[in-house]
Amino acid sequence: MGFLAPWFLVGLAAIGVPVFVHLLRRNVTTPRPFSSLMFFERGIQSSTRHRRLRYLLLFVLRAALVLLAVLAFANLFVRRPVTAARGRLLLIVLDNSFSMRAGTRFTDAKQQALETLASRPPAERSQIIALGGQLEILTQPITDGAQLRSAVESIQSGDGRASFADLGRGVRSIAESEHGPIDLHLFSDMQRTSMPANFADMVLPNNVSLTLHSAATGVPPANWDIESIEAPVELHNPKDPKLSRVRAVIAGFNTPNAAKSLSLVVNGKAVATRKIDVPANGRATVEFAPLDVAYGFNRCEVRIDDSDALPADNISIFTVRRADPERVLFVHPSSDTRSANYFGAALASAPQGSFVLQSTPAEQTAGLDPSRFAFVVLSDAETIPSIFEHALEQYVAKGGGVLITLGTGSTNRARIPVWGEGVRETRDFARTGAVSVSKVDFTHSALAQAQPGTDIGGWADVRVFYAASVDPGGARVAASLSDGTPLLLDKQIGEGHLLLFTSGFENLTNDLPLHPVFVHFVDRVVRYLSGNLRLAGSALVDSYVPLRSAPGPASVLANTDVIDPEGHRPLSLGEARTAQTFRLARAGFYQIRFANGQDAVIGVNADRRESNLEPIPEDVLKLWSKTGSDGTQKNLSQDQNRTPVSLWWYVIMLALLTAVAEAVVASRHMGTQREAV
Amino acid sequence: MQRFLDPQVLAGISSLDLLARTVVDGFVAGLHRSPDFGFSQEFAEYRAYSPGDDLRHVDWNLFARTERCYLKRYRGETNTQLTILLDASNSMQYTSGPPMKMDYARFIAAALFYLAIRNQRDAAGLIVFDDEVREYIRPSTRPGQLARLFAALEHASPQARTDFAKPFRHLQNSLHRRGIAIVISDFYGDPETVVQTIAPFRYRGNEVILFHILDPQEIRPAMSGPAVLVDLETEQRLEVTPEYTKTRYRERIDAHIEQLRARARAAGMDYQLLITNQPLDLVLREYLSLRKAEN
Repeated sequence: MGFLAPWFLVGLAAIGVPVFVHLLRRNVTTPRPFSSLMFFERGIQSSTRHRRLRYLLLFVLRAALVLLAVLAFANLFVRRPVTAARGRLLLIVLDNSFSMRAGTRFTDAKQQALETLASRPPAERSQIIALGGQLEILTQPITDGAQLRSAVESIQSGDGRASFADLGRGVRSIAESEHGPIDLHLFSDMQRTSMPANFADMVLPNNVSLTLHSAATGVPPANWDIESIEAPVELHNPKDPKLSRVRAVIAGFNTPNAAKSLSLVVNGKAVATRKIDVPANGRATVEFAPLDVAYGFNRCEVRIDDSDALPADNISIFTVRRADPERVLFVHPSSDTRSANYFGAALASAPQGSFVLQSTPAEQTAGLDPSRFAFVVLSDAETIPSIFEHALEQYVAKGGGVLITLGTGSTNRARIPVWGEGVRETRDFARTGAVSVSKVDFTHSALAQAQPGTDIGGWADVRVFYAASVDPGGARVAASLSDGTPLLLDKQIGEGHLLLFTSGFENLTNDLPLHPVFVHFVDRVVRYLSGNLRLAGSALVDSYVPLRSAPGPASVLANTDVIDPEGHRPLSLGEARTAQTFRLARAGFYQIRFANGQDAVIGVNADRRESNLEPIPEDVLKLWSKTGSDGTQKNLSQDQNRTPVSLWWYVIMLALLTAVAEAVVASRHMGTQREAV
Repeated sequence: MQRFLDPQVLAGISSLDLLARTVVDGFVAGLHRSPDFGFSQEFAEYRAYSPGDDLRHVDWNLFARTERCYLKRYRGETNTQLTILLDASNSMQYTSGPPMKMDYARFIAAALFYLAIRNQRDAAGLIVFDDEVREYIRPSTRPGQLARLFAALEHASPQARTDFAKPFRHLQNSLHRRGIAIVISDFYGDPETVVQTIAPFRYRGNEVILFHILDPQEIRPAMSGPAVLVDLETEQRLEVTPEYTKTRYRERIDAHIEQLRARARAAGMDYQLLITNQPLDLVLREYLSLRKAEN
């Protein structure tokens, strides 16, 4: 019990008024004059008794009226147990992640879920949720047993990775709208890798009672998987010993020493087999070389020939695209040949490189068709023929990529070709001392690094002597110098991208070409601008593939197309014209046609963290179970499990009745006074 | 002053006309004729002069015409005097609604003064008393007497307690002629004592009338709850209950009225109970009717 507006309790002081009138002044009566009392006699006892009774009743009514009025304004409320206010909700969560494919885990868990559903009271509301790569709510809170059972039976084992953090967030979201008690029954293998790094992400709301139904019993079974595959995305020369090879890592979980046989399958045909000894709970690497594949997309897989607890992770698929080397157009001023040399050397050293650099002076580009090149580099090109610039603009709009660098020639340049805007100012740091690169956005595809380190991925050692300052406008700043000057900007035009490097590649305006990070940078830029990053290779289940670069009017949008591993087209016609991204929901090969017309085949594998079948320790599970309403917090916050119910209406109605009674009694009293003499 | 001369009241009294005047000597002028010839202005007869008659009464005009000496004789009037004793004690200011008992007494007194002076040309006087004589206007027929009486009534304000002994002693010492004394009071006192105090005046040949004025609430108090009452004269406080007023009090006030009426009649005095909610003219008419019946 409490008050929503306790400050109104100050009004209780008003009870002093009836107290003063009735108790303090109750013996004060107004004497009435009379001509003579010679015929009267005293009648104290009777009058006092009547007066006291009447005054006491009137006082009680008036004091009660004041009290009720104050309580009404203070908004008295009581806390009712949520069970009384709302019905219970049975929340059934069935884990259909990739690890549930091990043995009969998924079948057992589904059976347990059905049994729990059957044993619930018929009037109890229930909701079915599938926990896979995403938290999929299959039903609303309903009581229809047939619909609930159908929802449970419709859940199939998936390839996603379960995350108990997602489950915690989802349940907390449900609890925001469902204030009643929630009985959460989780049917899962309680995989350790499903736990988030922060336990707080798993904590459940106070009104949720968690019951765990583990589908994994006993010691976790031994399981081997193909942990990773290193294979070329594009292959130009099968005889190239550096690129034409596939390196697979096999890992064991709760496994003894074992000899394993691995096979490389290309387009359904085993082309090579290797035997290797895998240490207990260890890893081993197997290499298949050379990799001889046909032109086009080749669907490859590396498989462990033996079976184990989770056979599904014994295969890892990927795609290798064989094609002739693509040409890259490098446009430079006639006086600058160093840029092409440095860029070409870096391009040749790139591990995924399959490009041929075609260096051309700027004045000789009038007759070139940019669409014949993987992408175009404009290196400090002061001026380019307008016809070529127009062709470049159209090329970019259709999905092409252009890299622009601004060398010393940018001083007198009022306008940057293709970019559309001019140089705001040029900054010569040679006089004041070179500046370094201070900020690098490693989430950008052209700069992405797995583990950049404290030296900013190698960019910290780069010294810049000269740079042009360009207004970023709507472009994305991917890297900037220590003085704040943007170093690398990315502007999207249509389906294509423009990268603007505000310094040069000639080793005069900076020393970037002399650093190893330059090779990595060129490799990433080439793959980013050519679009080859997404054309082949492999991806993880539940990752997203961008189908188009930017949204636009429906009339000008090109169709995209996706064919899933089962050969179905998951996108409707409307989605095919408007969808920006596509979620790779299942393992297998996806065929994708992007909005820019490029085709891709992507091998999708389940997250290998699902291969570790070790369950969460019991103590952690107990701790998790106690975070809900059955835990220690239940005792600490019992009030929070109760919902406040305002008694305003009851109080105001009672006050009204009291006011009527007071009026009746008071009118009788006043009437007596008028008739007294 | 005009409020005492309510035309409706006076019209009501005039309708009783001369029958009532004959009953009591001098109560209402013209109601009765004196057995003796006096010196009033109304001519009665001629009588032959005889030696020893007062020559002032000889009709010299007749003697001049007839050379006979006759004496003019007039029908004389009683020339009685009316004295009203008005109780102006505090108890007379009680009221449960207009008029106040004191005002009601003033109305009666004024009406009687008017009747006496204007209609009967009797002498009229006033004694206002409580426990002492507050105002005394000697009975007179002088011009302006009525105005003086009315002024005295105006100035008579209730105060102090009632004591009949003093004013009646004063009355007995002041009034030597026979007359009519009307006592207007609420007579809160022992009836025997009241009558014994007034009775000696009756023995001198005066006609004494007691007008007992009470408020309706004094006869039938209506109380639905207990109350504290304060005596207007003694300021005594008393807590009373409605049960008592409905039973015992009514018995006692009725007994008091009846005892007062009986004692007054026994002492040769007239008694009339007047309730302040009764019409004033009806009260006077009822009283005159009563006087007629007695005579």
